Amino acid sequence: MKKILAFLTILLIFSACKKLELLNENTKDPTNVTGESLFTGAQKNLFDQMTTPNVNFNIWRMFTQQWTETTYLDEANYNIDNRPIPLNHWNVLYRDVLKDLSQSATIISSTSYLDPDPAIKVNKLAVVEIMTVYTWSVLVETFGNIPYTQALNVNNVNPVYDDGLTVYKDLINRLNAAIGKLNPAWGSLGTADNMYQGDVTNWLKFANSLKLRMGLLLADIPSEASFVKTTVESAAPGVISSNADIAKLVYLGAQPNTNPVYDNLVASGRNDFVAANTLVDSMNNLADPRRQFYFTQVDTSTSGTPKLAYVGGIYGESNNFFSYSHVADQIEAPTFEAMIFDYAETEFLLAEAVERGFSVGGTAADHYNTAIKASIAYWGGTEADAAAYLSNPRVAYATAAGTFREKIGMQLWFALYNRGFESWTEWRRFDYPLLVAPPEALSVIPLRLTYPTTEQTLNGANWAAASTAIGGDAVSTKLFWDKN
Amino acid sequence: MRKFTISLFLMLFIGLQVAYAQRSITGKVTSSEDGAGLPGATVLVKGTTVGTITDANGAFTLLVPKDKETLLVSFVGMKTKEIALGTDNVVNVVLELSVQQLEGVVVTALGIPREKKSLGYATQEVQGDNLSTIKTSNFINNLSGKVSGIQVQSNTNMGGSSNIILRGNKSLTGDNQVLFVIDGVPVNNQITNTSSQTQAGVGYDYGNAASDINSDDIANINVLKGAAATALYGSRAAAGVIMITTKKGAGAGDSGYKKGIGVTLSTGVDVGFVDKTTFPTYQQQYGAGYGKYYGPDGDAYFNIIKVNGVNETWVPTTEDASFGAPFDANLMVYQWDAVDPASPNYQKATPWVAAANGPITFFEKPVTWNTTLSIDNTFNKGNYRLAYTNFDQKGLMPNSSLTKNIVSMNGTWNVTDKFTASASGSYSIVKGKGRNSTGYNDNIVTSFRQWMETNVDIKEQWNLYNQTARNLTWNYADPDPATTDYSPIYWDNYYWTRYQNYETDQRNRFFGNVALDYKVTKWLDIYGRMSVDTYYEIQEERRAVGSIATPFGIGSGSDGSLTRSDQQSGYLRRDFTFSEYNYDLMANFNKNLSKSFNLKGILGLNIRRTNFSRLISSTNGGLAVPGLYSLQNSIGPLPLSKELVSKVGVDGIYASVSVGFKNMVYLDATIRRDHSSTLPPNNSVYYYPSVSAGFIFSQLLQEAKWLSFGKLRLNYAQVGSPAQFDQLVDNYNIITPMNSPITSVAGSKKNSDLKPEKTNSLEGGLEMSFLKNRLGFDFALYNTFTTNQILPLVLTTATGYQSKIINAGEIQNKGIELTLKATPCKNKNFAWDIVINWSKNYSKVVSLLDGVNNLQLGAFQGGVTLNAMVGQPYGVLYGSDYVYDANGNKLINPANGKYQITTTSNNIIGNVNPLWTGGMTNSFKYKNWALSFLIDIQKGGSIFSLDMYYGLSSGLYPETAYTNDLGNPVRNPIVWKDPNDHSKGYASTSGGYINEGVLPNGQTNWVRVNASTYSGFGYKVLPNSAFVYDATYVKLREISISYSVPASLLKKVFITGITVTAVASNPWIIYKKIPYTDPESGLSAGNLQGYTTGSLPSTRNFGFNLKFSF
Repeated sequence: MKKILAFLTILLIFSACKKLELLNENTKDPTNVTGESLFTGAQKNLFDQMTTPNVNFNIWRMFTQQWTETTYLDEANYNIDNRPIPLNHWNVLYRDVLKDLSQSATIISSTSYLDPDPAIKVNKLAVVEIMTVYTWSVLVETFGNIPYTQALNVNNVNPVYDDGLTVYKDLINRLNAAIGKLNPAWGSLGTADNMYQGDVTNWLKFANSLKLRMGLLLADIPSEASFVKTTVESAAPGVISSNADIAKLVYLGAQPNTNPVYDNLVASGRNDFVAANTLVDSMNNLADPRRQFYFTQVDTSTSGTPKLAYVGGIYGESNNFFSYSHVADQIEAPTFEAMIFDYAETEFLLAEAVERGFSVGGTAADHYNTAIKASIAYWGGTEADAAAYLSNPRVAYATAAGTFREKIGMQLWFALYNRGFESWTEWRRFDYPLLVAPPEALSVIPLRLTYPTTEQTLNGANWAAASTAIGGDAVSTKLFWDKN
Repeated sequence: MRKFTISLFLMLFIGLQVAYAQRSITGKVTSSEDGAGLPGATVLVKGTTVGTITDANGAFTLLVPKDKETLLVSFVGMKTKEIALGTDNVVNVVLELSVQQLEGVVVTALGIPREKKSLGYATQEVQGDNLSTIKTSNFINNLSGKVSGIQVQSNTNMGGSSNIILRGNKSLTGDNQVLFVIDGVPVNNQITNTSSQTQAGVGYDYGNAASDINSDDIANINVLKGAAATALYGSRAAAGVIMITTKKGAGAGDSGYKKGIGVTLSTGVDVGFVDKTTFPTYQQQYGAGYGKYYGPDGDAYFNIIKVNGVNETWVPTTEDASFGAPFDANLMVYQWDAVDPASPNYQKATPWVAAANGPITFFEKPVTWNTTLSIDNTFNKGNYRLAYTNFDQKGLMPNSSLTKNIVSMNGTWNVTDKFTASASGSYSIVKGKGRNSTGYNDNIVTSFRQWMETNVDIKEQWNLYNQTARNLTWNYADPDPATTDYSPIYWDNYYWTRYQNYETDQRNRFFGNVALDYKVTKWLDIYGRMSVDTYYEIQEERRAVGSIATPFGIGSGSDGSLTRSDQQSGYLRRDFTFSEYNYDLMANFNKNLSKSFNLKGILGLNIRRTNFSRLISSTNGGLAVPGLYSLQNSIGPLPLSKELVSKVGVDGIYASVSVGFKNMVYLDATIRRDHSSTLPPNNSVYYYPSVSAGFIFSQLLQEAKWLSFGKLRLNYAQVGSPAQFDQLVDNYNIITPMNSPITSVAGSKKNSDLKPEKTNSLEGGLEMSFLKNRLGFDFALYNTFTTNQILPLVLTTATGYQSKIINAGEIQNKGIELTLKATPCKNKNFAWDIVINWSKNYSKVVSLLDGVNNLQLGAFQGGVTLNAMVGQPYGVLYGSDYVYDANGNKLINPANGKYQITTTSNNIIGNVNPLWTGGMTNSFKYKNWALSFLIDIQKGGSIFSLDMYYGLSSGLYPETAYTNDLGNPVRNPIVWKDPNDHSKGYASTSGGYINEGVLPNGQTNWVRVNASTYSGFGYKVLPNSAFVYDATYVKLREISISYSVPASLLKKVFITGITVTAVASNPWIIYKKIPYTDPESGLSAGNLQGYTTGSLPSTRNFGFNLKFSF
């Protein structure tokens, strides 16, 4: 009996002395990381989301009819809820990009670096800020009003939606502040930055190009005329000035760091997409030299010698994969790069700025020509190709059809291949090319994405208020900047 | 009979034998039931403390003082008998069953045996024989319908996990599975399925670990239903407990009992046949394709591809749907079997007809062999039992098997009169091979039920695979002979999938304990026990070079199963190690304070340590050397492994007191204090109390002969539940680096202020039996509130997080349970027993966090989510619904005759909780024959079928190919009388169908839906709610007939017993509403229920069993 009592006592002491709660420690995952590593991940997630053709995440290539689907036609007919596309886009940008960027900034701010100059830390924070502003701008351009001032705060589970225009102007102000902080004499995030490897000069150019585009996005709002003018004119001198400056991320050879186009078109083994007739026909009409870099050819002969041509599948209808042009091999390569801003786009925007009467230097035609040359050169064409193309009266700025909206809108459509989101935004801005929804379409060509359906249950009151504020949570609702 | 009675509790009355004027009485105590000796019966000299207990054979010798003339002979569950001593010194006593006794002694929490009549809470027993007659891979499935209040959701996966819930889901997102306890020791019931598997993505169902328990080792099961019954187990038993008592060395009264060594051999075989009502029937009129989309102009049913320079008609092999050309035996077309030179139809056209051998021919007949050999012995100093079981199952799918080898032993040694040592141990090796894939992706049955061509002959697929061992699929991406790469597009040859891309798994497990019991005084004993449950498990998954790409390898999520990239080949392994140690020390006292009062008590200590580790590794980018499945055979650099180590500890101290008054009123109170490692230090200690009372009112009504027994019971308990491992401190994720390291903020925000969950439960019950126990019932009412739930609240990601761990929310479960027992007929040769179990549980989500009224539990393909919504039962399905007008009519789109569908997807379209469940067992005994059958019923509950969602749209089912109201094939095109003036209506030759509903102008719908292409049926034209089915079923669950060879015939041989049993399990689904599948089909165990996709059909199993005792 005594022995047993002694044993009991020992057990109790043993149990009381050892700090039981220490068992709960997670010994495999870190509690502290660097801000730089968070930035690297956020940046990659952003590029992936803007580039992937995965039908669960990004279907903008179909909104502007660059591609169409072969068998399963839901997305080509604007069914964005069969797969929760708005939700996935929202989740990636808020949770996988903005949250990590915000945490990155918090950690970098509180880190003591042994760097030679405090300017490096300032540069790091400014770069994170620019990446953040870009991401927010995509959210506003997609949805309109969004949770912003109260977002990214886990203690407020029902963040209010802020007015889209107010948010957008605040973003431009934040961009101005970040531009003011960047010091090109010093580096920034170095190898943690897969876009510019920390080159602050390039970040300045990207920031100014972004500012130019964001300013022009508001150009059709009369009440913002002076704000737009200031924004555009102050941005123009510092924008991307060559194909060497473009904002791109080069993928690697091994998954999961491969080009998302490769993942979804090659590694998946599926045959879901062909080039859409809308884009292919238009480029065929102009004998566009970029076709060989965009599409494969198919044999259209009925007998005898093969007759190779670029043939697009009928947009929105069933298409036999082997009968139509596919995405060109180089775009499907695992290491092909993704882009969020390029030189051609910048020059088109400058052409637009000139047409709108802003003093940004040069003529609209010069900028337009430079843009087309830059685009052809980027994709692999020669200067001769570009010259021949520009000599086509339907391409040449002086003779091409329509207003500047139509001329620039058409060429942006050709140039923004593989960049569905920007292509969609510019189409919404310029209203060209004239695209028609397919017969089985569930709606007009979307002018925005609806809010994720989960917002109805997770943040219902604020969702309802935002829906009313923007004029209804529908894909047909025009956003605040889309005035035409 | 009462073989689970533990002798040490019967030895409390051994008195001193006083040297006095006395005489020696010898004798034997036997049972009136079977005449067998009763070991451990108490023989007491009336009016003294002089007494003894009987030995293993029921014999006793007692010195009786000369002046005493009466013996009191008692045994638990028997009527105590007074024997007047005459002159004879030999006294044989026959004890009769106590009339007031319902089921005698049952095993309660911590393995403590109690007289059932003294309990103030509901328990229900199932005898081992009722679980082991039918041999299944998971004995849990055999509980369905046998216990009220229990809901067993078995699925059709080979060796699959079974969901077992008692009295409803109490935790919103935590573990709601009952706790399994063997001989007082908890056993792990971990389900290691991936999160992708549970949400119907891709994966295998690896079963639940409790299925390692061998049903042949089970003596009986006692289900502790309410919190009061389980309070001493503390937090982990909040969901209820299944107490398993294993077989011990046979005691008197056991069937097969024989003095000395007993040997039992039981062997059986069982064969399954597909229940055709749980598998699709296919339309036989149309073959491959989605409509007239093919050919050079995109307007034909067939493609034109050159063969040897000549244009030929080809079936669109790329399409996994059957909305193509009408079959026509005179039409010769090139099909998938014309592609490969190995095929006898290479470059030959064949008639365009439906397949002679459809998917059902793919399945094999599952055969299960089960053999158990056991040896037991009971001797003066104790008893032991040693058993070996071999279970060998060949599955329904080709190349699938499940084997178990289990050795178990237990023994008790009475070292001295006061000191007993016992030990038990079980070692098992369970191996699975070729478990069926579950969910949407990479699952052959998904193809069978949703995506296939009705012209594909399964036998031909087999012949070509068998002949070539290559992936000659019916689903070529490009059958053009001009190309050389004949790769599949969506589906591999089914046999390639089964024979090349199979998984294997193995779990080696030991559990056991050693215990010492020391009797300090006759009213106090101290009991110490150390137990261990430990296993190592490996799961290996393969994809052979040449397969279609499918999500494989390591992606995101804690187990790497989400957002995985598509890989065409690869190897993945998961290694698990688990161990749980329990140290228990208990002091038991049991004393009659006076003639009327009995006091029992326990003071105890439990220390538990659980360690779980998981390592997941995979190849990346494919296999370098085909056929070699190893990590070093990866083409790409290995992805980051996923490593998890979790350690959980709980230190508990508990006490219980029971007072009995005149065998009529019993009061119990317990309290337990737990200190848990998973809560923050200031909240990590918590207490929970329980009180229960039983009042045997029949004691007051002794004159009422019709009343055999009557008891009222009432109890209240509070049970706490700690958090899971690692819910307090935030961690970052480490992601595969890209030129530089990558991390990310974890999607779920943890919470350093967590408090324990609390379940408050109130239960009342009435138990009565009549007419000498020929008729009886047990009725229970309960009401349970679980508050302070620890749950990951799903957030809008605008907060930066997917979810955050909070302490909030309340679920109420209230319900009724009823067990009826009747013996309509009983005589010397014949007996008929009926047991009916019925239960109904209402669950209600009372609250979540302020401002939050819905918690999403799971999201599935098709846009359906499972939710806990305030004011609703736990587990409502959300999805799109029809749009109704003010009169409740479904609105139709006048342009195309289709239903209008809500744009919102937060409509309640189903509730996965059954209205009630019930079971009825009828048993008949006639001489040496026994027959029993069980009918199992579930009423209500919803299940969403992704099979119908997609399968109707791809034209597989007869519902898509019928003769319409105009007498034309529904798939014929729409024909107007006047194409330019639709008001004239349809031509008599028109196809299409008319949905029931109204047009927006109020007219009854007359607009036809065009059903000539795949847009005509299924998910493209119907809301989610159209695919929600009532999960009601009535099943003949099992039926068995056995014959025991009479002992008189065996007298001359060395065999003491032979029993032959014929069994059938699930022989007949008498009633169900969901078409083409089993209403019980689901994904796997867990909180995500109410969704079916690509499930195996269920099987009717028939077998027989032979049992020999030596």
